[in-house]
Amino acid sequence: MRVWVRAVIVLVLCLILGGLFVHAAVTEEQRSPYPDAADLSTGYESYVGQHLMVFGTVTETGDGGMAIRVESDGTAITLRVTGTEAAVEPGGVVQVYGTLEPDRAIAAERVEVVNSSRWAEFYKYGASAVGALGFLLLFFRYWRVDRDTWTLEARDG
Amino acid sequence: MADLLTHLLVPYILLTVASWRVDWLDQRWVIVGMGGAAIPDLIKLEIVLEEKTVESILGHPFSYDPLSTLGGVLLLAGVITVAFERRHWRRVFGLVTFGGLTSLLLDGIRVYADGRASVWLYPFTNWRPPTPSLYVSSDPTVLVVALLAAGTVAVVDRRIQASN
Repeated sequence: MRVWVRAVIVLVLCLILGGLFVHAAVTEEQRSPYPDAADLSTGYESYVGQHLMVFGTVTETGDGGMAIRVESDGTAITLRVTGTEAAVEPGGVVQVYGTLEPDRAIAAERVEVVNSSRWAEFYKYGASAVGALGFLLLFFRYWRVDRDTWTLEARDG
Repeated sequence: MADLLTHLLVPYILLTVASWRVDWLDQRWVIVGMGGAAIPDLIKLEIVLEEKTVESILGHPFSYDPLSTLGGVLLLAGVITVAFERRHWRRVFGLVTFGGLTSLLLDGIRVYADGRASVWLYPFTNWRPPTPSLYVSSDPTVLVVALLAAGTVAVVDRRIQASN
């Protein structure tokens, strides 16, 4: 197949993907039933009493609760989470599902610790880097780029 | 999401086991399938180029989220397919899509505090499938299980190859 035909196919697919990137951002509200940090910082009172789920970075921990920083679209809001004994350090990441209360607080029904500390994040990136490197080494052991046709070809023909 | 290494190991395990029955499915094709498993992880492009930066350049809202969905997997599987010779397209597309789907499914069973996974079937539906909430992404147990299973499969595979 001619190189230019393949280039056109790639271009079309990438344009559709680019369209999805914009579409997903524009229609985000349709897929997230809960208010985000930007919604909360502008119209907090209107969400009080509602169920919500947030992802947040733990900033403080204490007896029966913690404080988390929730971010979206460059807006950040700090919320107190009550009714949880989750084992997490500041810097860790949690998911909180619960009811929004007055004065920037969530009465938690369920708290899930995603990263218990900053180190958990490093672990994930470490394992991913090993995966990426291993994959590339393996892939190019079996495949090579044919520079005449600009296709990937099996090394053993 | 699970780490990239786990994502790559799952299709390795499944496709290697399948290769014991399917003649054409050798190591090089298994690796092509593994490549598909990396597609949903491309959402981490965010680390290199933030959505905010792209938004300010484009002047439109912008989100990488579709990369971790069925739509993103199908489109990028198409892009990867075209990089191969025409006679391999059907096979490459099938394998890459399969790899991508294993990653989406694996991520679809991780923990969500409200019991519903992300909208990984986007753009076909905005429905959030239920999740059994089996693990959180930083849980090393997932990787350990995947490594043990992959190791076992690799050993068995070697024996089968040797006996042929």
